[in-house]
Amino acid sequence: MGEGGCIPSMDLFRSEPMQLVQLIIPIESAHQTVSYLGDLGLLQFKDLNSDKSPFQRTYASQIKRCGEMARKLRFFKEQMSKGGVVPSARAMSRADIDMDDLEIKLGELESELIEINGNSDKLQRAYSELVEYKLVLQKAGEFFYTARSSATAQQREIEARQSGEGSLDSPLLLEQEMSADHTKQVKLGFVSGLIPRDKLMAFERILFRATRGNVFIKQTTIEDPVTDPVSGEKVEKNVFVVFYSGERAKAKIMKICDAFGANRYPFTEEMGKQAQMITEVSGRTSELKTTIDLGLMHRYNLLSSIGSQYEQWNLLVRKEKSIYHTLNMLSIDVTKKCLVAEGWSPVFATHQIQDALQRASFDSNSQVGAVFQILHTKEFPPTYFRTNKFTSSFQEIVDAYGVAKYQEANPGLYTIVTFPFLFAVMFGDWGHGICLLLASLFLIIREKKYSSQKLGDIMEMTFGGRYIILMMSVFSIYTGLIYNEFFSVPFELFGPSAYACRDATCSDTTTWGLIKVRDTYPFGVDPEWHGSRSELPFLNSLKMKMSILLGVAQMNLGIIMSYTNAKFFKNSVNTWFQFIPQMIFLNSLFGYLSVLIIVKWCTGSKADLYHLMIYMFLSPTDDLGENQLFPGQRNLQLVLLGLALIAVPWMLLPKPFILKKQHEARHQGESYELLHSNDESVAVEASHDSHGHGHEEFEFSEVFVHQLIHTIEFVLGAVSNTASYLRLWALSLAHSELSTVFYEKVLMLAWGYNNIFILAIGVLVFIFATVGVLLVMETLSAFLHALRLHWVEFQNKFYEGDGYKFSPFSFALIGDEDE
Amino acid sequence: MGFLITTLIFIAVGVIASLFARICCNRGPSTNLFHLTLVITATVCCWMMWAIVYLAQLNPLIVPILSEE
Repeated sequence: MGEGGCIPSMDLFRSEPMQLVQLIIPIESAHQTVSYLGDLGLLQFKDLNSDKSPFQRTYASQIKRCGEMARKLRFFKEQMSKGGVVPSARAMSRADIDMDDLEIKLGELESELIEINGNSDKLQRAYSELVEYKLVLQKAGEFFYTARSSATAQQREIEARQSGEGSLDSPLLLEQEMSADHTKQVKLGFVSGLIPRDKLMAFERILFRATRGNVFIKQTTIEDPVTDPVSGEKVEKNVFVVFYSGERAKAKIMKICDAFGANRYPFTEEMGKQAQMITEVSGRTSELKTTIDLGLMHRYNLLSSIGSQYEQWNLLVRKEKSIYHTLNMLSIDVTKKCLVAEGWSPVFATHQIQDALQRASFDSNSQVGAVFQILHTKEFPPTYFRTNKFTSSFQEIVDAYGVAKYQEANPGLYTIVTFPFLFAVMFGDWGHGICLLLASLFLIIREKKYSSQKLGDIMEMTFGGRYIILMMSVFSIYTGLIYNEFFSVPFELFGPSAYACRDATCSDTTTWGLIKVRDTYPFGVDPEWHGSRSELPFLNSLKMKMSILLGVAQMNLGIIMSYTNAKFFKNSVNTWFQFIPQMIFLNSLFGYLSVLIIVKWCTGSKADLYHLMIYMFLSPTDDLGENQLFPGQRNLQLVLLGLALIAVPWMLLPKPFILKKQHEARHQGESYELLHSNDESVAVEASHDSHGHGHEEFEFSEVFVHQLIHTIEFVLGAVSNTASYLRLWALSLAHSELSTVFYEKVLMLAWGYNNIFILAIGVLVFIFATVGVLLVMETLSAFLHALRLHWVEFQNKFYEGDGYKFSPFSFALIGDEDE
Repeated sequence: MGFLITTLIFIAVGVIASLFARICCNRGPSTNLFHLTLVITATVCCWMMWAIVYLAQLNPLIVPILSEE
């Protein structure tokens, strides 16, 4: 596998070696073959028909059929969600279902379901009409009853008055009027019905205007919303009765009723008939109700029988559709007897693919087996890393920046450790680390449950990064122990503090401070520093220097990675004119600074390192004076400065000239191209030259400018990237200060009151602040800063990231993409 | 405990961890090398962190001055 000289192969360090393979599949076993390859999921098919539109392709009609079936399935799903049927999980037997049978079955089920739906709609409509009718009968009946009773009361009163008094002042025409009234009343017609409440006002107004006021409208509200027969929705309605006279008015009223969507119902004045009708309507309603319930029951049964197999069918249809999509990518032979497929596969999968081909041709009783052959191409293969659930999330971090070029050194390898480590440098508190650890362990324990269900956006992200969080928390427990902070409280876990009072009285501890009486505290920061006045100056100096040391180490690792790349691709130009001068430049300046830091710590010297570094550039020949850390330092500085100055043109100039020479050497006497045996390979090559090795046109100026930019970027980057690592110090400082504030100003303050309520409130505020600010916000910001340090400061030393991902045809992947 | 002894402890822990990884999940040479790289990187990172903090406190230029309370 590893062709990179003496470097043995390592998981995840380089992407899998890939090969372009060609399959020649007999047409009768094509479907089976593609299906088996989909199960295997290790072959990325190339579209050989990219010039054809989807409709011109061989299997367009099958795809259409699959699309139709998918539509039916979607219809079932919709009906199921309406009917409250939950499709059961895909735990049923994997019985082989024939596609044709399934298609017929789906068609039958669909028409049955549509018929049931139509019938139940009709019944439902009739039912709601009856319900409305009943309401009208009741309400309008009330009108007539009250009107009649009041009329009879009035009449009785009048009669009583007539018979009782019979005086002179009683109107003479009363009797006449009354009899006239009586005759008129008979002629009055009326319309009764139901109207939506929000339309009522307009309805009344229009009626009034249309009949010029010659109507009498009586209406009353219905308390509960009524199901509208047409729309099937619950609407608030009013019962109305419109009295009118004359046929023309009637026609007008009818039209207006229709326009307003008011449902009219016949009504009789006679009380006896009314009661009869009400009982009749009630009887029919209950009859209809039972019919509807039976229909619903039937529908529910049908849906649940669909639901039990829905997932299986859905999967099958999706598989089938993807198979035909893939088959459409294959080019059909002129004899129409076989299909030719081309695609990328990892080298290790050769046997598996051949095995799948054999099984397919055996299972489909094909006389001829499929042919498997490896093609040679100059095209860049896709990048494929074999990751597991632990490494994939880290690889994702790298891929988010850019997918690695084929077989390029993968920063994902070191990211697994350095990413959580740099995070933890900014998040050093073992109390918070334990909280994170518990959270990530919770997610990991419930992994099976969560991975099968759909989660919210944020939860999904957290769950996807559960192993990153696990590593981050483990490292932050470690760095927390180093920083000696547990929710900002120090512990003397590793022996007694190295500091003590100068004398027995301990009088000058607040002015001159303690003195070191023992050996250095063996692990981490001495607990005595916490809360002292000199804590900040000490920690700042420590963390700042630590950031630079860690940064220089990581940048050196990045440059060494570029060496492994140069070695792997046998590019000695990059080794000699990029890797070596870069190493020299970085280490003669910042490597030297790191050495100075360590020497200063070991010797306890008071030299000013800023001054030293600045004057190394400004006046390198001056005497160092009291800033000298070791003899011969001035000369060493001169040598280093000289090396750094030489390294810059070393990086810039030779490489473009050497590339030019190499190009000329390669194309000497190559004025004629070799004739290719078949046309296809010419076409293939022509299309790949743009990003292949054959630099047909060598623009010297372009290469030179590219190198110039690269050099400037590196030289300036060396300074700015080193400075960028100071974010480790800044974030770590912010984290420890914030947690100190929460601990002292909230928890300790509340404790000081000696009051249980205040203490409870204090604890509550402390917990919320710790979780909200430190565990969520700070984790996020430290995560982002660690991400930046990896993407920019580490990866720009070696990572090209211009590859493309291997996306094999796999049934395991089609489940997610459709939804 | 001096600088060297603790460094030796770190090395020992690293060696034990890599042996542990080698014995417990032996999955072919390339995966073993991968695990070894992870263990070495982690050990080096942790050791660097510890060494930096230890060295910084070796010869203190400033000492803790207690605040007046």
